[in-house]
Amino acid sequence: MAIRVQLDKLLAERRMSLTELSDRVGVTVANLSILKTGKARAMRFSTLDALCRELNCTPGDLLGHEPGPQPGGDDGEA
Amino acid sequence: MPLSPRRLAMPPIKGLRALGPGSVSSLLKTALDVAYAVLILLTALGALLFVTVAFIPMDQLALNVTDDAGGAQIPLPRPHALFGVGAFIGYFAGFALILRNLRRVFRTLTLGDPFQPENVSRLRQIGWILATVTGGVWVGQMLVSRLARGIMDPPSLFNLVTPAFSVLVVFVLAEVFREGARLRRESELTI
Repeated sequence: MAIRVQLDKLLAERRMSLTELSDRVGVTVANLSILKTGKARAMRFSTLDALCRELNCTPGDLLGHEPGPQPGGDDGEA
Repeated sequence: MPLSPRRLAMPPIKGLRALGPGSVSSLLKTALDVAYAVLILLTALGALLFVTVAFIPMDQLALNVTDDAGGAQIPLPRPHALFGVGAFIGYFAGFALILRNLRRVFRTLTLGDPFQPENVSRLRQIGWILATVTGGVWVGQMLVSRLARGIMDPPSLFNLVTPAFSVLVVFVLAEVFREGARLRRESELTI
């Protein structure tokens, strides 16, 4: 996925742990890890809103785009 | 008047629940279990009969065929008898396989997670087995009608319409399950 959720950078800048962020936004640590490692397929606006509110940032600060191969057929099905 | 979610909600059917004891699914599960056991038993009996016909000498084997005009006795050589018994074994074993797959699909439903890629393969298998068994029955009837020429009419191509429709329904359901599995996987990774 070419979209990256830059949680690591924002958390480091704010000296906040993933567990603390999890408590604040009400998303489990496991799901935040999925976001952090780029395994997530989609993010709800409510999650984005909560993350931006707690990290005091904009969606543009949180999301980044890394040019790469076009995702296609990643479902493993025709 | 705008339709609220409350107005759109289906009222529950009185006395019937979706899951749990006394529910529609528990009745279906019982029906599937009973039918599966009966088919396994019939397949085993057919296999026993096959061995009997293959190894026990039977000189005077004949098939009595009756119709409105009277009846006739058709001599039944051992290879024909073996083919007939084998066809019945194939028929029952095919439906037993279908029920085995259906029971597995049903188990995922009772566990609350029916949209799995495995169920797509199971439904496809059911479709292929159904096509093979019903096609085999048609070919078998054709062969028997040739052996009993003048007594039994050959099957019509129209006899294949209902089985073909059933196979089509199963394959369409397999595709529905495939899309359901894809959506479920996608929603799993939506945070």
